[in-house]
Amino acid sequence: MNVQVGDSIPEWVMESVRPERMRTMAAILRDPNPVHWDRKAVAALPFGLGERTINQGPLGLSYMLNMLMDWAGPTSVQRITMRFPNVVLDGDRMVANGTVTAVREEDGVRLADCDVWLAREGEQPCLEGTATVALPED
Amino acid sequence: MAEIQPPVEEIRALVGHEFPGGKYTVAHWENFLLTECTGAEPLPDGQVHPVVLFHMPILGANTSIGGMFALGQAESDFSIGIESYDWEIERPLHEDVEYTVTGKVTEADRMEGSLRGASRGVYDRIQFRFELHEPGGDFAASSTITWTYRRSRS
Repeated sequence: MNVQVGDSIPEWVMESVRPERMRTMAAILRDPNPVHWDRKAVAALPFGLGERTINQGPLGLSYMLNMLMDWAGPTSVQRITMRFPNVVLDGDRMVANGTVTAVREEDGVRLADCDVWLAREGEQPCLEGTATVALPED
Repeated sequence: MAEIQPPVEEIRALVGHEFPGGKYTVAHWENFLLTECTGAEPLPDGQVHPVVLFHMPILGANTSIGGMFALGQAESDFSIGIESYDWEIERPLHEDVEYTVTGKVTEADRMEGSLRGASRGVYDRIQFRFELHEPGGDFAASSTITWTYRRSRS
């Protein structure tokens, strides 16, 4: 796989963040926080988010994992570190993006370090962080 | 308004707290539903979607999200914020493999500053680290979770 510093990773799009997926995720996670499944609980918060549930942080992170795995293969992700400056809400269209910041070799494996982020089109990132990906052989 | 912040000494004393630890096996149904939630197709060869690295270490270490909220004396579910998640994957995880899970608190302290969506205030920053090992003992993956616990002023 020919990868160079500055390369863009093909974007991955979640066309609409679906509230029913948040509910399934809340059950799997045993996550008691109602912001993920009760729209009225979100509306009652002093943040002006309206009646829209808040996507779980790991689900937003998963969109970037999907982008990286589609790009470099299902076993490629070695590390991902993520911060969460803004929330993702049900109904949002989210786009995962990334760029390669370094290419190096470690123990015979070619690695790409990447900046990755998740945003609504044209807006500031809701999630942003870094990832290290093992590159497949040519 | 009454003082409802826990003593800072109690927060700092959380460093080193270890969860009971235990085992966790991801079943096919769990991986299928989890992967569907991410919007992806199932991964090949029974590989578990890496998003499992949020809840699997927590449940495998014999704690829970609610338990971690309570450990930090959260005022409510709404007072918790995510600072960061840091996941390392040495070996991809697979369905029907019994992983050994350990977890502990690695950092805990009181801070003051601005948190997402809120004005400047007091909060406690607590970091948890979980490790997963394969049945043979080899390190498989880790998850470091850093949460903020917003505190009301007195």
